[in-house]
Amino acid sequence: MTRALITGVGAITPIGLTAHDFWTNLTAGVSGVTKITRFDTSDMSVSIAAEVNDFDPGAYMDPKDARRMGRFAQFAVAAARMAADDAGLVLTDDERPRAASSIATGSGGAIETMDEMEVLLKRGPSRVSPFYIPIMAPNMGACQVSMNLGLRGPALASVAACASGLYSFIEAKALIDAGLADVVLAGGTEAALHRLPIAALANMRALSRRNDEPERASRPFDLNRDGFVFGEGAVVVVVESEGRARARNARVYAELAGGALTCDAYHITAPREDGTGAEAAMTGALAAAGMSLTDIDYVVAHGTGTPLNDATETLAIKLAFGDHARKLAISSPKSMIGHLLGAAGAVGGLAAIFAVHHDLVPPTINLETPDPACDLDYTPGKARKMVVRAATANGFGFGGQNGCVVFRKYQP
Amino acid sequence: MATIFERVRDVVVSQLKVSPDEVTPTSSLTDDLRADSLDIVDLTIAIEEAFVDDASFEIRDEDAENIRTVQDIIDFLAAQGIA
Repeated sequence: MTRALITGVGAITPIGLTAHDFWTNLTAGVSGVTKITRFDTSDMSVSIAAEVNDFDPGAYMDPKDARRMGRFAQFAVAAARMAADDAGLVLTDDERPRAASSIATGSGGAIETMDEMEVLLKRGPSRVSPFYIPIMAPNMGACQVSMNLGLRGPALASVAACASGLYSFIEAKALIDAGLADVVLAGGTEAALHRLPIAALANMRALSRRNDEPERASRPFDLNRDGFVFGEGAVVVVVESEGRARARNARVYAELAGGALTCDAYHITAPREDGTGAEAAMTGALAAAGMSLTDIDYVVAHGTGTPLNDATETLAIKLAFGDHARKLAISSPKSMIGHLLGAAGAVGGLAAIFAVHHDLVPPTINLETPDPACDLDYTPGKARKMVVRAATANGFGFGGQNGCVVFRKYQP
Repeated sequence: MATIFERVRDVVVSQLKVSPDEVTPTSSLTDDLRADSLDIVDLTIAIEEAFVDDASFEIRDEDAENIRTVQDIIDFLAAQGIA
């Protein structure tokens, strides 16, 4: 079985329009949460989000191609192009059938669906865009990346709510393990910032209402957390077979060592209270990677900042890691960039990759008052310089979707 | 006041993401301006929207089939009394 290596990274996030800017700001504790500027929130109970601003699709792709894409696909193509450039990826025509994409999303072209529905209702069916279906379809993140980079192998698009991004990494590794691909552009993308999802999640009591202090609203593991902050963006990485990467002497950030997926089979939104669904994903990921729990130094938590998630995740980490749980550095990128939903798992993966590569653990910001139910080391406030031999990234989604992926330092 | 050609040109530029210099009355939408069949449907909708205050009209499928150049759009509009 060949190994799967990370050789390139790309990102469009609320705190940076490149993977490296994202990492610089993430480790500096910079918040990307602000008042919502994209639409009127005067009648809404939640008026904050982590927006991607100053994104110009024309900087990454033909403006005409960009017009035929949803914002989520534009993010994916931009991040994928940056990842391919970062990897120095050059594909010959012979290699293209063995080059794949695996781009997850939570909701595809949700913004465009809502906007086009307005066209239908206000101006009638004759005015509806002929591009609406290929703009909205959730597979289009993957297909547009494949089209843009000429990847003619499988184009996979996992839909697993807020665990989606992790599914994409696991599928990428599966393609490489099975010998079906040598290169996979893998990641997640989400652009659903619109009145409808904000209203629905607010009514679900899932979102923070700390509207007057946007930067302090996302506070995973803090006693006074009151929900997550809605975000948007994309992360795409190049996953490459060891053989191909070594043959071209590629720079390697980390090895994608393995991962596992489970389902709570329990409730539409709440996690299984005993934490066993999430625990099974973590222990499964370690088993898939052939690693023991003491090999892990850092856990990128799902850490949404909802009362339920953070307590249950803490319990699950303790179940999975036993005594080693107290030795782990843990942190939640969502404290800074909010919850990128279908891209959140990919963001967590990128944080794990960089932590392993740089031996640096980003902080959990806004963790000011400890919660007795969350009593592990969440790296509060400040980044920590430490050796990170291996890191896991957690992701949990509505429907009981659980994912965990392990990245480790690459040892040839 | 912009001419009909200029108004049509602006819609074509905006929908097909081409340079204004490329758009002449004789430009073929598919050959010169690289439109595919979806672009042409999209363009006809945008033309309807852009001229909605000039006259009430609809570009039907059979009308769209005859639209191949920028001049064809201008001629169609003239037939609706927009000139």
